[in-house]
Amino acid sequence: MIKASSFGMNFSSEFAEMEQTPWPSEISTSSCSANNSFEHLNLIPSYTPTTSKSFNFNSQAEGSHPRNRSNHQIVKDPNVCWDAKTMLNNLSFLEQKIHNIQGVVHSIVNQKSQISSLPNEFAVQQQVLTTDLTSIIVDLISTAGNLLPSIKNNLFSSNSPPAQSCNSFDPSTQLEADAPFPNHDPPTLEIEKCAGEYNELKKSEDDGREANHIEDHDTKESEDGAETDNLLLGSYEVLQLAKEEILAPHTHFCTICGKGFKRDANLRMHMRGHGEEYKTPAALSKPSKNSEPTLIKRYSCPFVGCKRNKDHKGFQPLKTLLCVKNHYKRTHCDKSYICSKCHSKKFSVLADLKTHEKHCGCDKWLCSCGTTFSRKDKLFGHVALFQGHSPALPSEEGCGLGSSEHVGLEGNGYGFSTNYLNDDVDIKLFDDDRGYLSTLSFEPYEYGVSDDFMKVAFSFMENSPIICPSELSDFGEKKGDSSDSHCML
Amino acid sequence: MKCSHPPSLPKPITAILSVDLLVRILDHIVDAGDRKSFRLVCDHFLLAESLHRRSLRPLRLKYLPSLLGRRYPSIESLDLSVCHSLDDNSLATAIASGSYWQKLRRVGLARASGVGWKGIEALVTTCPLIEAIDLSHCCEVGDRVAAALAKAAGLRDLRIDKCLGVTDVGLAMVSVGCGRLERLGIKWCMEISDIGIDLLVKKCRNLRVLDLSYLQVTNNSLRAISSLEKFEALSLVGCRFIDDEGLAFLNNGRNSLQSIDISRCQNVTWFGIASVIEGHRNLQIINMGDCHTEVTPAFLSQLSLIKTTLNILKLDGLQISDSGLQNIGSNCNNLIEIGLSKCLGVTDKGIGELVSSCTCLRSIDLTCCHLLTDNVLTAISKYCINLTCLRLEACSLMTEKGFGQIATGCSQLLEIDLTDCSINDIALQHLTKCSELKVLKLGLCANITSKGLAYIGSNCNNLEELDLYRCVEVDDYGLSFLADGCKRLKKLNLCYCIQITNQGLQYLSSLEWLSDLELRGLVNVSSMGITSIAFGCKSLVELDLKGCSSIDDAAMFALARYSLNLRQINISNCSVSGVGLCKLLRTLKCLQDAKLVQLTRTSVEGFEFALRASRCKLKKLKLAGDLMELLSPKLLQMLQARGCRIRWVDKPMLFNSLTIE
Repeated sequence: MIKASSFGMNFSSEFAEMEQTPWPSEISTSSCSANNSFEHLNLIPSYTPTTSKSFNFNSQAEGSHPRNRSNHQIVKDPNVCWDAKTMLNNLSFLEQKIHNIQGVVHSIVNQKSQISSLPNEFAVQQQVLTTDLTSIIVDLISTAGNLLPSIKNNLFSSNSPPAQSCNSFDPSTQLEADAPFPNHDPPTLEIEKCAGEYNELKKSEDDGREANHIEDHDTKESEDGAETDNLLLGSYEVLQLAKEEILAPHTHFCTICGKGFKRDANLRMHMRGHGEEYKTPAALSKPSKNSEPTLIKRYSCPFVGCKRNKDHKGFQPLKTLLCVKNHYKRTHCDKSYICSKCHSKKFSVLADLKTHEKHCGCDKWLCSCGTTFSRKDKLFGHVALFQGHSPALPSEEGCGLGSSEHVGLEGNGYGFSTNYLNDDVDIKLFDDDRGYLSTLSFEPYEYGVSDDFMKVAFSFMENSPIICPSELSDFGEKKGDSSDSHCML
Repeated sequence: MKCSHPPSLPKPITAILSVDLLVRILDHIVDAGDRKSFRLVCDHFLLAESLHRRSLRPLRLKYLPSLLGRRYPSIESLDLSVCHSLDDNSLATAIASGSYWQKLRRVGLARASGVGWKGIEALVTTCPLIEAIDLSHCCEVGDRVAAALAKAAGLRDLRIDKCLGVTDVGLAMVSVGCGRLERLGIKWCMEISDIGIDLLVKKCRNLRVLDLSYLQVTNNSLRAISSLEKFEALSLVGCRFIDDEGLAFLNNGRNSLQSIDISRCQNVTWFGIASVIEGHRNLQIINMGDCHTEVTPAFLSQLSLIKTTLNILKLDGLQISDSGLQNIGSNCNNLIEIGLSKCLGVTDKGIGELVSSCTCLRSIDLTCCHLLTDNVLTAISKYCINLTCLRLEACSLMTEKGFGQIATGCSQLLEIDLTDCSINDIALQHLTKCSELKVLKLGLCANITSKGLAYIGSNCNNLEELDLYRCVEVDDYGLSFLADGCKRLKKLNLCYCIQITNQGLQYLSSLEWLSDLELRGLVNVSSMGITSIAFGCKSLVELDLKGCSSIDDAAMFALARYSLNLRQINISNCSVSGVGLCKLLRTLKCLQDAKLVQLTRTSVEGFEFALRASRCKLKKLKLAGDLMELLSPKLLQMLQARGCRIRWVDKPMLFNSLTIE
């Protein structure tokens, strides 16, 4: 969508008139008003109340300027040395925070007194604690820094609460006059230091998060392309789209007829129908990447409180627009796509549904609770986690599973002879229905025995030297037996 | 036998020996024959015996209700592994027959190939107290049976060795269902992998003994196992994916491992075992035989860490120098058993050093240590006065002088293996001074004559097992001494003692307890001899008549009539016809294993008829490969469905000329 606007086409009016989808008024009015590249990206709107509209975003130097610390409790007003009320707020906040940590430490102590359940858990708590303490220290210093305007500048490197204040900081930027630095010399050194420190802090936070990962059930997150790349703070800019932007089905619109497209290339193809001027190679070719090395862009989720939101303490930026879309849909939207096969799995991203449908029904690993799994290790993980759950056998013919395993075994070349294996598989087929071969139903004498064999047998019997009389009488009895009628023994 | 006391006797024996005293006496009577004699004294003794009896191994299922219900009220352990034609239906019927099943704690169903998940389910639901189930070698047992087993929540001891159908899923069901499991044997369950073991460890925290032999498990399983706190014994025979790295996981010392068996693990070296020792100072048993490793001084010095506890050390097939043996001696004083079979480089000097330090040794295995001479026997007789078991197979340099010293020094000897030692009658004369001998193996000692057997017969009255394989000088006269002196003989191997005739077997027929008899290649023995054996040896369970070419149908008739407990028979190469075979297979209800190769006088129809007459109760069958095509497919299918495994042998087969096409 950024590219579309970079065409320099003014389509706001058409857009407003021929909206194909119900666009919220906010977007059509406020964000599509100018033809600069970021106009309809609400660039950090909530925290830069004084600047947003008047800023010229085309200018990079200024575009990356907004440095908002307002979301944090430490509100800095550059004109006033320090505000007693704010200070009080800050202090009470700090007090509260310390109190919280006290609670955590208490719980750790209690846990330790018992037999520690998981060694991992303790490490995680410690990590969290360290992070919290760090942020308190930072807060404290910054609060104190307000009191001493003379050293404020020196302290800057440490007084900016990491994740919040440095978000959009760009080392290459020239600082605005209203920045809270009395000293106008480009403080590159400090900024670098700041970035470094931020990275360090961030790393420690990441560690903590990693240790915490068990609690993070949204495994899709990593697919959103937002795994923390070690970008220096400020070496990228953070963009945040409104949720309506994210949910819009199309992002590229024809300025003439208003038709929407998902891809810019498709739009360009479409434009050819509107006249000769759109058929020139220049118009058809991909807009050149030309220009100065652009800043790396990273995206923020508009959902407040989400860890992909730039105001979150452990902010993890999203890499691409697609990531933003998928993340927002997966995490903050209803799951409206329902699998047509199992009618139970729901998805908010169509692609996810399609991926699932491809494999739906193939789940052969079944738990006693009814959940199915496509992989054995997933099932076993599930069983290990939940007390009382156990793997279950498929209710009907379970042989499919078993025999496939046997094939695998054969493939491995274990020291079995093929005979051995075949026997085994054959027997397996009878595993379920052994009953049908009960003693009662099985009658060995139902098979006819040829008379010739009888003859031979009889001749032997007559010549046999040591058959005792009882044996013969035994034979006589048996002969009369109806079930043994074919048999002379 | 009822004791009738004349009224003149004031104190009958019952007044002196009360039931509880008799029960105490019974605690010390283990042998089945002795117990039988005890039972036969009088009613009072019979009562005491039936009160005392805790375990039962019935041969026939149909007497079970009366046995369990009336006679033996306190049976806790029931072994059904030798019951014939045991299947789901008969088991269910037996279970339904009385409430006494509810008291059972242990049930043995090894090799009960006819039992499936329905039977197990019935068993498990009926016996709420059940603690131990043995299903080993039921090859077709699969996950469905495992699911049934999982319903026995109180199960502590489970053996499913060689249940080939059990997969990770089956094991997982058992792990979840039987959380109190303490002992588990899953040897040869080839489809169980790390993932199953991992779950087992997570669910059964009380696990103490685990047998994973021959599985494809890797180091990850060992990592999981190392977290078990009550763990005691681990068996990893032939696990080829285990290596030193895996054993290092056991190093954490979190559990009280006492026994480890890693024999035949190709990738394990002494280093891995040393790391196990490092973490477990209470290790009692180490078996590292046939690992591809060497015994280094570093390893031996590591053994000194477990000096006080190590009891059993097996180093079969490794190369050990004299100094190594000396080190073992000085580092492991408390050794009770040492295995050095097929060790290379074992000499008189080394063994001398070893036994001079380890005076507690009770069992020494020196099989195939060819270099050893009488000096070793001198040293052993000097230091190891408690020795009970000595294996010297193929130590052919030893003479009667050495054995004389052994006989005087180690008078408590119970078992001695002298196979292929080419000893003579004089050595035997010395050895039979050890009157406690129970097991004597003299295979391939061609110098032994009737004179030697006379020494055995006159001195070793407790002998239970005697191996005279290819002692070609042994004749009928010698057997008469055995029959007179060794009344407790249970196993006797007379293969290829070609001088033996019907007369010799006639002598042997007085051995009431003989259960195992091998008579391979005795061409001079005819049906007459076998008839006398069948008539006399009532306990006969296993009989090998392979290559006794004079034996014909008459012997089969006699066996069918008298040897009702016969379980295994080999009549390959005998002159048995279809009629005899049919009679044999049809009548002997207990027969489970039959080897019927190269029966040249039996026609295909004879086989077909005999196998059908057997009602497919056989569990194992060995047949000529040609028959695979000739027997009706339906019969074969039926046999296999009943749990019978057929081994086809590719040998040229000559059919009975009477076969009518």
